[in-house]
Amino acid sequence: MNLVIFIFIVLLGFTSYYFGRKKAYSIQATNTRLTALPQFYGYYLAIWCAIPAFIIYSLWAIFEPSIVKLIILSDYSNQGHLDDELNLIYEKTKSLSRGQFSGEITTYLETSAEKYLNLRSIAQNSKVVLILAIIIASIVYGYKRISSNNRTREPVEKFLNAVLFTASLAAILTTIGIVFSLIFQTIDFFKVIPLFDFIFGTHWYPAKAFVRDASEPLDPSMYSDTFGAVPIFAGTFFIALIAMCVAIPIGLMSGIYLAEYASTKVRQYAKPLIEILAGIPTVVYGFFAALTVGPFLKDIGTAMGLEVSAESALAAGGVMGIMIIPFISSLSDDVITSVPQSLRDGSYAMGATKSETIKKVIFPAALPGIVGSILLGVSRAVGETMIVVMASGLAANLTFNPLESTSTITAQIVVILIGDQAFGDPKTQAAFALGMTLFLVTLSLNIFALRVVKKYREKYE
Amino acid sequence: MKKNGVKMIKINSKNVDVFYGKKQALFNINLDIEENQVTALIGPSGCGKSTFLRCLNRMNDVIDICRVKGQIIINDFDINDKSCDVVRLREKIGMVFQKPNPFPKTIYENISYGPTIHGMAQSKNEMDEIVENSLKKAALWEEVKDRLHEPGTGLSGGQQQRLCIARAISVKPEVILMDEPCSALDPIATAQIEELIDELKKDHTIIIVTHSMAQAARVSQNTGFFHLGELIEHGSTDKIFKNPENKRTQDYITGRFG
Repeated sequence: MNLVIFIFIVLLGFTSYYFGRKKAYSIQATNTRLTALPQFYGYYLAIWCAIPAFIIYSLWAIFEPSIVKLIILSDYSNQGHLDDELNLIYEKTKSLSRGQFSGEITTYLETSAEKYLNLRSIAQNSKVVLILAIIIASIVYGYKRISSNNRTREPVEKFLNAVLFTASLAAILTTIGIVFSLIFQTIDFFKVIPLFDFIFGTHWYPAKAFVRDASEPLDPSMYSDTFGAVPIFAGTFFIALIAMCVAIPIGLMSGIYLAEYASTKVRQYAKPLIEILAGIPTVVYGFFAALTVGPFLKDIGTAMGLEVSAESALAAGGVMGIMIIPFISSLSDDVITSVPQSLRDGSYAMGATKSETIKKVIFPAALPGIVGSILLGVSRAVGETMIVVMASGLAANLTFNPLESTSTITAQIVVILIGDQAFGDPKTQAAFALGMTLFLVTLSLNIFALRVVKKYREKYE
Repeated sequence: MKKNGVKMIKINSKNVDVFYGKKQALFNINLDIEENQVTALIGPSGCGKSTFLRCLNRMNDVIDICRVKGQIIINDFDINDKSCDVVRLREKIGMVFQKPNPFPKTIYENISYGPTIHGMAQSKNEMDEIVENSLKKAALWEEVKDRLHEPGTGLSGGQQQRLCIARAISVKPEVILMDEPCSALDPIATAQIEELIDELKKDHTIIIVTHSMAQAARVSQNTGFFHLGELIEHGSTDKIFKNPENKRTQDYITGRFG
């Protein structure tokens, strides 16, 4: 029923667009000059038709259930039930009214269920009537207001402005919401685990928190030496470092090749091919690293007499580097291409060769943009999860040997949140603390990258 | 300059044709450029004068689809020959562009760029000297001597263009090509550059492409008139402006088209 109402409003909106426009045309036909193009009158009427109806519709959807609940439960108000019991009664009533109730049916419940169904149908009918009335009233009002001297362009533009504003507001509010949920959980976490232990502790073993019997009171001292994040911070930056050692040289050189050396034809095919790399899901990279690169490195290592773990930081970091290549190569290609041709001409005219021109003029001019692309690559590397989970293991070893297994912030969040977990438990909250840390790191990297890119933009404008 | 009454020819172009892809941009250009003189190339937009200028230091190599035919002989040597080293050629033939294009580096580095890549200075002192002399010759020294290590892009348009001229003369080229060097400048900066051109012709042969006939008349000794890819007429500036042989030349300089 709700869907029908919704579709009805939308269809009416479209129809009133045509009516509004038609009226505008007919005014125009009398050789009167309109203050706006005829379609603005159409939009104007469509907005008048749809918006009040939608507002009523959503208000109804928000308030109807709680009002119905209030009325149903008012019958029980003098029986001294607790809030929880009242909620249970209401749920029972609802399921009985749907015929899905399997417990003991009392007369009280039966009356309530009947009343509930009754109320719902009244509400439904009055909703339809009210919305129809609103639509008719607002269409008539809007239609009457269409005349040669009434301005419609401004309200329509204002409406569009409001729609766009709402869209960006939604994005911003979501961000704020996520950040706040991170903050509160993180604060709770640090009430139990001292910040100092978290930042400087060298032992990360959240599985220990499993051992706690939930019925016992929470004793912070048992968590000492459990949530020391140094090994996973170190692992994160170590793996990111390995990834950047792969991604920066290859990405940069292929970017320079594409921008300066490749013929139009090569570029035309090579660039999309490299960008395909960016389209491969990271989970595919993950099993590529775990099943192909990891064992391959182990075989080579064994042949050379080295101790190589099958899950190694090198495998994860190396594959992650390959994943980041297209970001760096594509972005630096764009940046290098956007260096004005006049600078190249100036350098060539001085007798500089191509490589001298690139080294001494183009690269320095493009450097801020290139740094920006590298920083974006770094924040990808720090935030990457799947490859590490699959290829580098989950044990948080504090090691700088690339041949051993190590773990990262993101991989540990996965470890912590897989399976059952209790809210309010330090183990679960540790995920929020890690998420917060990661968020702060990538945020500052992104801000830094944007600053650098902005500085670059100012250079030629 | 005349030596024993004979004009010295610096550049001698023979039957030069230029193609952009399939489109022919220049048709059979034969033009001699006299040494230590200013030669102006005039003509309406798209007539090929800039294309011809870019042939002289092989800047057209940079454009993939551009092909140059014919001979351009500088110092008894055909620069279109395979044995020609473009790096050496461009050291001998400097260029100044339409829009000032200083590198996004300091003023000092802008000038030292050429001498560095050609290995002209053995020491820091020598380089300082080259920078100072080049800036002095470009009449920019007094204005920038206290801020040599500030970015060249921070100068005014006219100063930037003189910086580019200083950059071009830093490697002591024999010829300087100027592609509408004043078109982005105001009248005062233009007058400064024109004065500078007159000064520079003592040591360099100068070829200037210009849209302004008044400028051609003011700065040049010889003028070539291009139209639709052909060299219509060339000779001394006096003669071209006062007594042109070709009707099209006359129409152009009297402002009847272009």
